[in-house]
Amino acid sequence: MGKWFKSGSPWIWMTGGAVSISLIAVLGLLLLIAWRGLSYFWPADVYQWELQDQQGNKSTLIGEIYDREEVPTERLISAGHKFNQHPGEFVTRYLVKTGNREFVGLDFRWILATDIVSRSTPEDVAKFERTKNGNFYGFPIAVIEDGQRLALEGGALETSLIDHINRAVEISNEALALQKSDIGSINYEIERLRLKERKYELENSLTAERKAEIAAGIAKLNQDYLVLEKSLFALRDKAARDSVIIRDMRGEEVTLKLDTILDVNYVNHMSFIGKIGHWFTGLGRFVSHDPREANTEGGVFPAIFGTVFMVMLMAVIVTPFGVVAAIYLHEYAKKGPITKMIRIAVINLAGVPSIVYGVFGLGFFVYMLGGSLDQLFYPEALPAPTFGSPGVIWSALTLAILTLPVVIVSTEEGLSRIPSAVRQGSLALGATKAETLWRIVIPMASPAIMTGLILAVARAAGEVAPLMLVGVVKLAPTLPIDMNFPFVHLERKFMHLGFHIYDVGFQSPNVEAARPLVYATSFLLVSVIVALNLTAISVRNHLREKFRSLEH
Amino acid sequence: MISIDRSNMQTDTVDLANLPSQDTALEIRNLDLRYGEKQALFDVSMKIPKKQVTAFIGPSGCGKSTLLRCINRMNDLVDTCKIDGEILLHGQNIYDKKVDVAALRRNVGMVFQRPNPFPKSIYENVVYGLRLQGLNNRRDLDEAAERSLRGAAIWDEVKDRLHDNAFGLSGGQQQRLVIARAIAIEPEVLLLDEPTSALDPISTLTIEELITELKQKYTVVIVTHNMQQAARVSDQTAFMYMGELVEYADTNTIFTTPKKRKTEDYITGRYG
Repeated sequence: MGKWFKSGSPWIWMTGGAVSISLIAVLGLLLLIAWRGLSYFWPADVYQWELQDQQGNKSTLIGEIYDREEVPTERLISAGHKFNQHPGEFVTRYLVKTGNREFVGLDFRWILATDIVSRSTPEDVAKFERTKNGNFYGFPIAVIEDGQRLALEGGALETSLIDHINRAVEISNEALALQKSDIGSINYEIERLRLKERKYELENSLTAERKAEIAAGIAKLNQDYLVLEKSLFALRDKAARDSVIIRDMRGEEVTLKLDTILDVNYVNHMSFIGKIGHWFTGLGRFVSHDPREANTEGGVFPAIFGTVFMVMLMAVIVTPFGVVAAIYLHEYAKKGPITKMIRIAVINLAGVPSIVYGVFGLGFFVYMLGGSLDQLFYPEALPAPTFGSPGVIWSALTLAILTLPVVIVSTEEGLSRIPSAVRQGSLALGATKAETLWRIVIPMASPAIMTGLILAVARAAGEVAPLMLVGVVKLAPTLPIDMNFPFVHLERKFMHLGFHIYDVGFQSPNVEAARPLVYATSFLLVSVIVALNLTAISVRNHLREKFRSLEH
Repeated sequence: MISIDRSNMQTDTVDLANLPSQDTALEIRNLDLRYGEKQALFDVSMKIPKKQVTAFIGPSGCGKSTLLRCINRMNDLVDTCKIDGEILLHGQNIYDKKVDVAALRRNVGMVFQRPNPFPKSIYENVVYGLRLQGLNNRRDLDEAAERSLRGAAIWDEVKDRLHDNAFGLSGGQQQRLVIARAIAIEPEVLLLDEPTSALDPISTLTIEELITELKQKYTVVIVTHNMQQAARVSDQTAFMYMGELVEYADTNTIFTTPKKRKTEDYITGRYG
């Protein structure tokens, strides 16, 4: 035994074990998030249950199994359940997503296994995804085209329904594009003209001529608007032309307008390939669409865009500042107690809780800096703030300060690893210190700078708390980049995946519906961070290859 | 006594003490150097003749490298270093406050103990000094690169891969590349700090041949702890011991009839 200890094996086992546990923990976490997030897009079977409760009331239920659990019978009995015969120690309970929110009140329902008489998977049941009120489950009976009921059955009905829905979706998309880009632009222009007028007014240079010019401009835009509005309404009417009659689980026939329907799927007779296709479509929509219904449905595209845009903006800000600070500290500052203190202070800055940075950002950047900017450059918009309210630029700046220590520390490390022989070689050729820095030292330190940037990006992309104070919102109506001059709107608020997770998970009106979205969004956030890091790492490896003299 | 074949060396000796100023490349006057409390050079005075090879020899820690690094003010990089005395180049003290150190170093090139190419292509290494001077004309740079690489006897080996990374070269090639880099800016004086100590014998031989070539155009000062090398390549030899210049004469005299006891002991291998 003593010999075994001396041999060092226990040490190897201990260290190896620690590594394995860490790895398993990380992989387990990722797998859990990935599995729960990604399985959300897999089309689950739609069941029809015939239920009979203990009082003998019969009912039918259609829906997807969302969750199941074993409940102790005692608990059910004490909660007031009565069983005709004792069902054993545990009863299985299913959480069923029934949809049809506007007709049944709750779209999730618990059912007890003891109440189930039979369960089937009817072939012709369909799942409708709608723009409002969540999913709808039922048996399509007929398509109504422009008021005319089409006499179709079975497969023909299915094809016709899908065709009609695709038509409506296409027209709706057209209407949405019109509303967002063309009408959005006109509104933006009108607002700009209004601000222009106000600006002249403030400068006391609002001549009658200018006033007339602006009024004419606005009148013309309003005219354009009316034309566009007309075509928008025309499109909407066109989209709302058809409807579908569906028999729901209560046995009643419900008519749904097709312009409220996004997609229909006969999940129960979908082939495996079809399901895979459906999975990819679902995933694609999730990453490319806007959120709907208080973020509980639809996609997260604005949040992805906001996260990536903000992080990149931050990287652009933090890199030059961090590198310059590190160069001064390492190359020019005299070695002494003050430099030492500054260095310690910088390192300690990394330990300040992030919410403190948020408070600082709100007070300094948003109110002081942004407020001053507004008074200097945007007085015409006041009292409505332009830069004086939380926005993406202030978020990026706040996170830049938050990640500054990381960049400074790793840049300094990189600078100190450059062999003095190379510096002296450059100096001996008549280079000044600054020339040596620019031509030799900084290029050679660039892999270390990239390492700092990678760490900064990883930290910044996962940070949520300070952002809630300086720029993130639950729902941003517009992206920070669009087609309206000046195209990049740094003062706008933005959406962020991290905040989206918090919002969907904890602030949502429909917790059950939102739960898988939390996993899916978490997985997406991790993927975005990994993607950002991999990009930075590949750039760094490229640089390392170029300056590999450091390795020997 | 080491037997050295000096038949191929020039035999006309120079009177080093009374060297006329037009033949003097550098004059060192009463140079003292301290690293903090420790004094490393004691009252060194010597004249280094133009377009000849001068070697500094002596045991480790005798201050020969320190003296060499004084000539292009590389010791400025050491914070604790303090220098008294003068080094005259063209009659001007290089430690004068008015002197532009970068300009001085363009005039006094240096090659270090270990090859230190930059992490750039061979071509970019050679033209680095020229680019620093603002030269960017492609044709001029190409010409200068070829001339310098030929001057450092490495052109034939690298002419087909000028744009490859300099780290792909062998140690000896790297050292010749560094010499090419140094002569590309056409200095007057070339300082070589133990240029062959990190190289194999064949590379050493190539570099030694190169040094003999270089003295046609440049004043060469070489530090070496290899006495045969000093004897082979140099015209003048200075023997240093414990920070003092013990004896300075033409190489033939030093190696055959040294005047001082310490010199004789050192070159006969009694210590060092």
